[in-house]
Amino acid sequence: MKGLLVKDFKLMKLQKNFFLLILVIAIGMIVFTNDVTFPLAFLIFIVSLFTLSTVSYDEFDNGNAFLFTLPITRTSYVMEKYCLGLLAGCGTWIFATILGMIATVFKGTLTITDLIMIALLILPIMIVIQAIMLPFQLKFGGEKGRIAMIGAFGILAIIGIMVVKGAKAIFNVDIVNVFNTLPTVSMGMAVIFAIIIALAILLVSMKISISIMNKKEL
Amino acid sequence: MLKIEHLKKHYNNFFLDCSLEIMQGCVTGLIGQNGAGKSTTFKSILGLISIDGGNITIFGKDIKDFTTKDKEELGIVLSDSGFSGYLRIKDIIPVLQNMYSKFDKSFFIEQVQRFQLPLDKKIKDFSTGMKAKLKVLIAISHNAKLLILDEPTAGLDVIARDELLEMLREFLEKDEERSILISSHISSDLESLCDDLYMIHDGKIILHEDTDVLLSDYALLKVDEKQYGELDKQFILRSKKEVYGYSCLTNQKQYYMENYPKIAIQKGTIDEVITMMVRGNEQ
Repeated sequence: MKGLLVKDFKLMKLQKNFFLLILVIAIGMIVFTNDVTFPLAFLIFIVSLFTLSTVSYDEFDNGNAFLFTLPITRTSYVMEKYCLGLLAGCGTWIFATILGMIATVFKGTLTITDLIMIALLILPIMIVIQAIMLPFQLKFGGEKGRIAMIGAFGILAIIGIMVVKGAKAIFNVDIVNVFNTLPTVSMGMAVIFAIIIALAILLVSMKISISIMNKKEL
Repeated sequence: MLKIEHLKKHYNNFFLDCSLEIMQGCVTGLIGQNGAGKSTTFKSILGLISIDGGNITIFGKDIKDFTTKDKEELGIVLSDSGFSGYLRIKDIIPVLQNMYSKFDKSFFIEQVQRFQLPLDKKIKDFSTGMKAKLKVLIAISHNAKLLILDEPTAGLDVIARDELLEMLREFLEKDEERSILISSHISSDLESLCDDLYMIHDGKIILHEDTDVLLSDYALLKVDEKQYGELDKQFILRSKKEVYGYSCLTNQKQYYMENYPKIAIQKGTIDEVITMMVRGNEQ
């Protein structure tokens, strides 16, 4: 697995210019606008998407066939992709949160507690997005995977809106308002709860990916 | 080393049923036309595709039970696949180091220099010859016991092919127990390297013979209609109608040389044997 991680870091290094550009944009947004949270989320999501690009690089020129003749298993290949996603995602999350904190201290638009809360909310969302995207990427490959993914996110967004609207119409509960009025303490609980659920979804997603990979004909 | 018993794989209009065996210390060649089933056989051995039946054992172990440790004993070259073209040799070295416990870094670097492969260039920008050499080099630099090489010489010029075969010979010399399964459609490569040859056609093995026997005992008899009528056909494997009469493939050259001194007998080359086995009519 270590060999695969080394390979993927080498592949990700190829995109270092693009990554630097994203970083500059994020810092630019922090400096020139009052919004700290958007650049934060932006940076985290982009970097966690970088891990997906390694799947496309692996597939380039039928490279997968050779890759699986190396002393690795298909299961360890999938696990490595999830590890890489978490490593890159969490690494950037820490970096971006610190960046956000520095900005908050200088600008004073948000309290540190609020910023950390927002950052903590981004974390489970990032994990869930990876959990959805990786199986698609592995099943359909780089090109088709992107299209399939857009569809999946569309459906997910519609479900989300339907849940919010439905809850309001049927049970007369305003979910958005509930979240907004949640006291900080139980908000913290909600975040922990969300992260646990997100990790559970990631685990299920990994199981699905492993079975996708095991069935793949190369 | 490697044993395949009735490996079956079915595609729309293709049915593979292949059995072959590679002995310890031997170089075994697999020849056949494009689409004859060579790559399908290789992919099945390597577990890249699912198989519909039969058994494949490597080092006496079913490939279904193969662990990553067992895989370290294999060196693989695939004709249409390799490390991602976006990587450089510089990037591959640490990857191999972390994958193969017996990776010989100094040997690898020495050979890279010997063949003047660029360390700092993306593989996708390599020439065909460089790519082929790198693939073989990766396969031979971690002390593998068995090499499985699918068309390692495809698309190479004479010099590059020679260098590549030289690499394989050096690999074999270091340890007598090492074996190679190699496929190619360039018969001269196989002639000089292989101990025995399997010929595959339409998914089936149609011939298995020691290379020496193939070269010494196989021959083409060129006969006219009358001679053909009188010919004892018990050692004729295939015959084919020609303008002048018939050409017949035999695996008993000596018999016909002694009994039919007037017949034109041409020494068999691997290419001719292939052509006759595929195109000729069975006796």
